[in-house]
Amino acid sequence: MVDKKVITELSEIVGEEYISTKQDVLLAYSSSASMASDPIIPGAVVRPTNAEQVSRIIQVAAKYDIPVTPRSGGSSLQEEVIPKLDGLVVELMRLDEIELHKELRSVTVGAGVTYGVLEKFLKEHDVFLPVYPESALVCTVAGNVAVNGAGPGSSKFGCTGELVLGVEVVLPDGQIITTGSEANPYAPGPYQRYAFGPDITGLFIGSLGGFGIITKVSMKVFKRHMFYDYNTFGFETHEQAERFMVDIKQNDINGVFTSLYEGPVLELFMDMIGEELGIPKYEWPFRTVSMTIGRVREDMMKSDAELAKKLCEKNGGHVIGISELPYSEWTGRLWFFVRACYIHGWHWRTLYHHQTPTNAHRSVEEIRDVMEKYGFLGHTAGFASGHSSFNAYPHLYFDPQDPEDEQKIRDAHKELAKTLFKTGAVPFKLAPYWADAIEGMDSYMAFLELVKKTIDSRGIMNPRVLGGL
Amino acid sequence: MTEVDLDELMENLAQCRRCGICRNAVYEDKGFDGVCPVWKNSAGFETSFMRGRIQVALALLEGRLEKTAENAESLYTCTLCGNCTSICAAEFDPAKCLESVRQVLREIPNEVRDTLAKKILENNNPYVEENRTRRYWVREVGFDIPSTGEVLYFTGCTAGLKLPETAKATAKVLKAAGVNFAVLEEEPCCGSVMLRTGMVDEAKRNAEKALEMIAKSGAKTIVVTCAGCLKTFREDYIERFGFDMPKVLHMIEYLKPLIESGKLKLKKSDEIQQITWHDPCHLGRALGVYEEPREILKAIPGVELVEMETNREAAMCCGSGGGLRSYDQEQAKKIAADRMHDAEEIHADILATACPFCEHNLKDGAIRIDSSIRVVDILDLIAEQLE
Repeated sequence: MVDKKVITELSEIVGEEYISTKQDVLLAYSSSASMASDPIIPGAVVRPTNAEQVSRIIQVAAKYDIPVTPRSGGSSLQEEVIPKLDGLVVELMRLDEIELHKELRSVTVGAGVTYGVLEKFLKEHDVFLPVYPESALVCTVAGNVAVNGAGPGSSKFGCTGELVLGVEVVLPDGQIITTGSEANPYAPGPYQRYAFGPDITGLFIGSLGGFGIITKVSMKVFKRHMFYDYNTFGFETHEQAERFMVDIKQNDINGVFTSLYEGPVLELFMDMIGEELGIPKYEWPFRTVSMTIGRVREDMMKSDAELAKKLCEKNGGHVIGISELPYSEWTGRLWFFVRACYIHGWHWRTLYHHQTPTNAHRSVEEIRDVMEKYGFLGHTAGFASGHSSFNAYPHLYFDPQDPEDEQKIRDAHKELAKTLFKTGAVPFKLAPYWADAIEGMDSYMAFLELVKKTIDSRGIMNPRVLGGL
Repeated sequence: MTEVDLDELMENLAQCRRCGICRNAVYEDKGFDGVCPVWKNSAGFETSFMRGRIQVALALLEGRLEKTAENAESLYTCTLCGNCTSICAAEFDPAKCLESVRQVLREIPNEVRDTLAKKILENNNPYVEENRTRRYWVREVGFDIPSTGEVLYFTGCTAGLKLPETAKATAKVLKAAGVNFAVLEEEPCCGSVMLRTGMVDEAKRNAEKALEMIAKSGAKTIVVTCAGCLKTFREDYIERFGFDMPKVLHMIEYLKPLIESGKLKLKKSDEIQQITWHDPCHLGRALGVYEEPREILKAIPGVELVEMETNREAAMCCGSGGGLRSYDQEQAKKIAADRMHDAEEIHADILATACPFCEHNLKDGAIRIDSSIRVVDILDLIAEQLE
């Protein structure tokens, strides 16, 4: 329970309507989209409307040593917004401003703006924020910066963090700072992230609210691609497919979304949603690369498409030529993945991570091993996620009405995090799922702890993340 | 089938994996510009949209949350509009599940719900003690309407008692089309609101009474002007109660072929008017009737049909469904005002609909935002344009 005196102070900031200690409301904030997670009931929830209110809330929380969990879309899958018992949840969905800086090719959005909302807005201006998390209709841009997510678009543009020009953050003492070029009060807007020395913006990317609450983010936007090529490429060995993925990058082919699927995994997906999306039936090979090439000019697109076919054959593959799969992935990017994730009845735990493209098969092997050992259904697939990385998204399925099954997945999940770590994989962020998996990083973790203690000496900011530092 | 299979319900509720798409998804490809009207027009806590409601429902059903009126509040602040069902990526119907949850948890006190059911059972309508007054509009149409016949116009409580102009307009249109029709002497409530609020046993008792009266009328076809009556007769009476019902049509379904064949002639509107169509949730999402009213409106000479940003499967609700208008009138009116803003944005002169609940609530919404848009039932419009 949060003390009544504290509730009164918080009410004075946000107004009585926007604070709740009702049991049902607290219960609804005890969980998120993360599955097989123990719900934890907070003491109160507040819904501020701007950074100034967030600042005053944090000052009250600091005064009374109340742990604070920032939350926006509530779509995170790795327990990032599960609160502390009796803590305070600061829900940011009311921060919904959008400001386009067309000449600067950037946009600034409040922490409550989802990708779906922003996409509609940007489309009217013929630009786009080219990386979309799979939960784009629910997830906020600021939330995705806080977790440094990836998704369709990442194969060309990298993780969300790569697109950030600056952030507005409320620090644990209530101070509000703006990073990047906007730190200069005379700057015309966000145009350069690397300003005034160290990359302070980067400190908050993937920080999960452990250093402060992001209230605004400024992002790069790009002219929308007008010309696309959609194609699929088949390979009989993982080496062939992985080398092809590297060649695509080496030759500057603009694969905005380049997915790599194991044959049986693609069969599973197609069984679920193939017909619905109009994807023809096909006996998918050992490995399939599904690629959307996007360009602002047609000649560039055609050139890329031709070269991709040659590189496929050079690596021993064959052009499958089914365009409907990449077409659905890209044009339906706000829907395709969410549908694939929820059309079946299973609950699942995930363990998003990056590999190198030539190590993608190691993630497949590790999840297969753990599936065999524990005896459950699951899969992993992934996509090129930047300069030289590959994002894998393993799903471990369980029946939520069977506690033994759920426990099995929790155990398998824990083990998988450890084995994946040893393949050289890295998580996007230090969410609770990864806390037990990392080893041999003592100096790094000690430094991270120093940073945390320096910024958040009371340890009130989302204490469950960053390995519980 | 009036009992809820609890195992099946729990299995369905477990389909919700809390993705949150039911809150405010904006997805142009599917026509969504937001999803939950309550979330959008309230303080916006998690319990104001379906993800939170399902978590509360599960906690109440599993005993993790005490069964009190306060804890169950979010179960009743939902219009059951079904927009969440339209966009849900999982294979279940959240709105239908919530309706079942209300039924299972009916032991939780709820004065508004209980009063509504009591009034309907006692008075045959939720509004007045003298139910026979609901047929008084017949005196004003200028011709006799029998109480038996092959075509029965089931007026509904709201048209009969609150919006009699729609009932009169319907009678005028039917007569103009040369249809001999009847209106029951003392028509009962269809029981829709009882079903939506979880009072299924009471609804069944009421429905048995209604069925008997309908049977006595000799009706082979029932026409209605209320989307709630339509859904209740066409779906619930048959699927839930296993009744053998005559054919049930909304007037817009009944009239469309009459207009197309020229049996019912419509004259040109005095001036060109931009009319937008508000899809009632019970008519659209529930029963898939989207195009018939649009075709009828387009058939009125001089009318230009303009669409609000959200329409058909993704149309935002008027705010009055699911018992919300009774449970939280203020909330219902806020939602109505928001829907009227949608109509204002496209500069509509008239907003037409085919549900007296929608019409009644949207009129209040128009007042709230000082809108000059005329909110009207489509039957009123058709009656005005009769040759």
